[in-house]
Amino acid sequence: MPKVPLIGEVGRVADEGLEGLDHGFLTGKIEDLVKWSRARSCWPATFGLACCAIEMMAAGGAHYDLARYGMEVFRASPRQADLMIVAGRVSQKMAPVLRQIYDQMAEPKWVISMGVCASSGGMFNNYAIVQGVDQVVPVDVYAPGCPPGPETLMHAILTLHDHIQSGELTRRREPGVEGAGIVIDQRDGQTASQMILTR
Amino acid sequence: MTAPTDADVVPVTVNGVEVEANAGELLIDACERNGVYIPRFCHHPRMKPVGMCRMCLVEVDAGRGASLQPSCMLPCTPGMIVDTESDLTKKAQDGVLEFLLINHPLDCPVCDKGGECPLQDQTMAYGPGESRFVEEKRHYEKPIPISDTVYLDRERCILCDRCTRFASEVAGDPLIHFQDRGSQTQVNTFPDEPFASYFSGNTVQICPVGALTAKPYRFKARPWDLEEVDSTFPNPMGDRVNVQSSRDRVLRIQGVDSDATNWGWLTDRDRFSFEALSHDQRLVTPLVRGDSLGNATDDGDELVATSWAVAVERAASAITASLEAGGAESIGVIGGANLTTEAQYVWAKLAKGVIGTDNVDAQLGDGLPAQVVTALPRNTISDAMAPGSAVVLLVDDPKEQFGTLFLRLRHAAVEGDITIVELSPIASGLGSLVTVGAHARPGDVGAVARAIVDGRTDVEVGGVEPAELQAAAAALAARAVTVIVGRPSVAEQAGPIIDAIAAFTELESVSFLPLLRRGNISGALDMGLTPGMLPGRTTLAEGGEWYRAAWGTVPADSGLDTAGMLEAAVDGSLTTLVLLGADPLADFPDADLASRGLAACRTVIAVDIFASSSVANADVVLPAAGFAEGAGTHTNLEGRLSPLMQKVNPPGTARADWLIAAELAWALRADLGIESPESAWAEIERLAPSHAGATVEQVRAAHDGLVIPRPDDAGADRPAMVSFSAPVPTEIVPVDGYALRLVADRRLYDQGTIVQHCASMAHQSDLARISMHPLDAAALGVRDGDLVRVTSARASIELPARPDRCVPRGRAVIPLNRAGADVRALIDLATVVTDVRVATL
Amino acid sequence: MGLLDSVRGFGLTFGKLFDERVTTEYPAEKREKSERLHGRHVLNRYEDGMEKCIGCELCAGVCPANCIYVRGQDNPADDPVSPGERFGFVYEINYLRCIHCDLCVEACPTEAITESKLFEFSFTSRDDAIYTKDELLVGDDGKPQQLPWEDWRDGEDQHTSAWMRATAPSGDASYEGRVAWAGELGYGTRDPEVGQSGGDGD
Repeated sequence: MPKVPLIGEVGRVADEGLEGLDHGFLTGKIEDLVKWSRARSCWPATFGLACCAIEMMAAGGAHYDLARYGMEVFRASPRQADLMIVAGRVSQKMAPVLRQIYDQMAEPKWVISMGVCASSGGMFNNYAIVQGVDQVVPVDVYAPGCPPGPETLMHAILTLHDHIQSGELTRRREPGVEGAGIVIDQRDGQTASQMILTR
Repeated sequence: MTAPTDADVVPVTVNGVEVEANAGELLIDACERNGVYIPRFCHHPRMKPVGMCRMCLVEVDAGRGASLQPSCMLPCTPGMIVDTESDLTKKAQDGVLEFLLINHPLDCPVCDKGGECPLQDQTMAYGPGESRFVEEKRHYEKPIPISDTVYLDRERCILCDRCTRFASEVAGDPLIHFQDRGSQTQVNTFPDEPFASYFSGNTVQICPVGALTAKPYRFKARPWDLEEVDSTFPNPMGDRVNVQSSRDRVLRIQGVDSDATNWGWLTDRDRFSFEALSHDQRLVTPLVRGDSLGNATDDGDELVATSWAVAVERAASAITASLEAGGAESIGVIGGANLTTEAQYVWAKLAKGVIGTDNVDAQLGDGLPAQVVTALPRNTISDAMAPGSAVVLLVDDPKEQFGTLFLRLRHAAVEGDITIVELSPIASGLGSLVTVGAHARPGDVGAVARAIVDGRTDVEVGGVEPAELQAAAAALAARAVTVIVGRPSVAEQAGPIIDAIAAFTELESVSFLPLLRRGNISGALDMGLTPGMLPGRTTLAEGGEWYRAAWGTVPADSGLDTAGMLEAAVDGSLTTLVLLGADPLADFPDADLASRGLAACRTVIAVDIFASSSVANADVVLPAAGFAEGAGTHTNLEGRLSPLMQKVNPPGTARADWLIAAELAWALRADLGIESPESAWAEIERLAPSHAGATVEQVRAAHDGLVIPRPDDAGADRPAMVSFSAPVPTEIVPVDGYALRLVADRRLYDQGTIVQHCASMAHQSDLARISMHPLDAAALGVRDGDLVRVTSARASIELPARPDRCVPRGRAVIPLNRAGADVRALIDLATVVTDVRVATL
Repeated sequence: MGLLDSVRGFGLTFGKLFDERVTTEYPAEKREKSERLHGRHVLNRYEDGMEKCIGCELCAGVCPANCIYVRGQDNPADDPVSPGERFGFVYEINYLRCIHCDLCVEACPTEAITESKLFEFSFTSRDDAIYTKDELLVGDDGKPQQLPWEDWRDGEDQHTSAWMRATAPSGDASYEGRVAWAGELGYGTRDPEVGQSGGDGD
């Protein structure tokens, strides 16, 4: 595999992206720079599903002004969006649509589950509503509330920014790691062999 | 039921509508039957009215003008005009509730009854809403434990007299009572005497407020958390229960009022046995032999957890190896009496129809042969205790072993005109309610029964004086007799009991209630989990062809019982043993034979819910679902079929017993063709001669269960059912003047697996003691509490003695399965009775 | 459309440059919360440090989103956790279910659970969203714990008391009883507001 001076092996960079770069005087802070810029132009896809979307719109308005984070452009095309704010209850019928839009978004991409309905079904504990959007897409930050106010949403966005900049999310997405973060506890008796009784 | 004649019907006007009451019926019951509910606290349909609470006051005009009268004390009279909704009635209800609430603390949020409390509900429905009393309420120390399982909170008590009436009228343990007078009246136990009743849990259930609460349920959940289902408790009575759970744990069992069986009552052992279900020592995963590193090996010293696939395969290959080496006779199945009837059928099909062995026995040497039990004409409990009938008791003390039957017997003895003749070797908890106590000496009960039936009552027989024999004969004469028969003592062989049965069959009007140990033993005997029998009360000889056509194969010859199987294991001809919830080491009367037999088996496959001593020595352990963890049908001593419902999921990967049998059959390359308990029942209904016509729907729908009448002819195509033939009488063992004859009986709380896994009951099992008549004790120089050595022909044990007037002369009673001393060491199964000599140390 | 129209358009933009700004610069500043906002819950204590919660599960029973899990237990006699026989042994609220409807606060017979004004919090894992008794219980000073992932500002912990709706014990809809704020340990009791009928501030 050819090695480019000051950057590193081409193969590693192709496989691992920024994390594959050699750390030299030229590339030393590139990763931080990229993360910084990703955090500061995180364009959301418009994905308002219910009442939470009203609060999401309010967050984009002059009073709260998401433009301060470079996030004022809600993109109707998933190809141009980095962040999906799932605002509202996800019905079973909407789930495949939601997943398709997520799949169409370009990497790197993030998801905020806004409000309790998106996060867990909330008070709609019934057959029609997906009981947590993390069953469909991997969620990075959950914003509680019914609905969360613009400030709660901005708190979630700031939490996301921190995570983008610290690189935690990029690492978490590597294959074989937590995935969507849903862990279903193994039921008793399915664990590894263990000594129970002695003759 | 005859059609009511005019004399039976009393016309009563309730709220302007004329309704028909039955003669002598209380007004409150007549109104309820006709859809008018009158609020009440003290009235209980199974107890006598007292009129304590005054809540049921209604305006009644019985000819002398309208006035307020307590409807629970008022039998209906013709032409009575009742208004339950008048202003006067409402004012009375309002006032009574305000009065009851003067001293009732409003701690509903922390009260276990809050949410299902009659006082709460009726205050909401009929109460004033506001109280005018501002004075400080009455205060007592709260709560105080009045027994090992029941707490009393006197502040909450509204003095309805339900618990005290239950204790004295129903249970016969008058250990709680009203004390003091006036506003100081309180319910309490007597000093230094706890409410140590086997039935104390019932008072918690009938308490209309939260004054009595049960320790096992205390603060575990609130009523609105609970999901419930009506089910049947798997005891020989088939008590109807309501199983309540929250978050997949059974948290409470309540009795359901069923006319046919338990009348809403339960014993504490059954009521609180749910504690064992969620015990952390439940078996949750299959175990096989392995090494100390947890690897499954063929001959490891440890039991290691494994998957179902591995464990079932291991069990199947052991069975296949035995089949190839020693034929089907080298495989045996012990136990299965605690399974559902469906699971018993499936296991019988697996053992007899797939493996082809008849070495199957659900009883561990402490029962009666199925050929006898299933052949006897049966009665129902209600008919047996109908006024004018007679009951013969030849069983364990029902108070200790079969609590709800004891309550029914007690009620019938007190209220109904029935005679009770006790032939059991010692007096039961019925005490003086028994008409005649003809306590036959162990081994002689056949002769005693014969003497009573034949009227040869002029000489003493089997330790029973002529006067008692005459009284017994008189008590049974010209009455419909029901013989409740079981094994009162494992120190006495079944032979004399069968002789007694044979004698009683000659009575003119006689029927039987076989009362044997273990939950669903009736089902096990009906389903052929016993040597020589096939499902539906038919024998190998009669039903062999029929079942061979359905199953493919059926063993040709009758197999071994539990004792025979253990002996065959010792001499090497039986190599694989399946334990179906059985613990021979702790439960078989000959512990030594059991341990030698289990050790000699090449493979022991145990299906159980707890790691009992026998399970700990098994080679393959398959965890089973327990009570309320699987659905099915239960068969009680009458043959009554009632549904067992599932409420929670089995722990870990434990599976229903029928499914384990089906899996095992699959691993043996056979298909049982059973996919669910329902499909198993459909097959039972299709094949078993005794169960023709009992469909799943009928069994599930009947609130009181379903008794299938024994058909005279099972139908032309079905095989004949077994009929009773009297065997050669057992010879009477001469009395050894220097010895006492041993009676090994059972007590409610013992070292049994379930009791010992219930935190509230485990410590109630007392130490083993030997009881004997005070004169016998005096002759031996034994005083109360003395340590004595008891020696039989086999062994000797040491344990404390207790003189007891209830034990007849010449007998010694040692309870089985109690800590301190194991009476089983004394018993030799080969002898008819066991004589022991007692010496002071 | 004249040539000057676009210039006039810019005029509007430049004119607004000098108007007062309407944007709240969150996270630098926060807008004031209304007095009855329903935020993150707190579990209150009495002055002597005893917990008010008695584990009666009424809050769990009334919760429309099933977000509360409570289990009671016998109070240890030597070291009681709350006054009375029973105390809340387990108390958990799942903030990914809670809709802040305040029904739990109304149901509580001891004013143990009330809601603070804190609403700015978010989680990166589902498990973090389940608050247990350790997090919900107020500190020894009676003030809510300020957890590191929550955005508390100075003075925001002041109002944790709940507005108790006055309902008749008999369920009578026309009943007008005394309405008041729940007792609040950290900052004392607030004066009651004017009653439903607009009376004299009973």
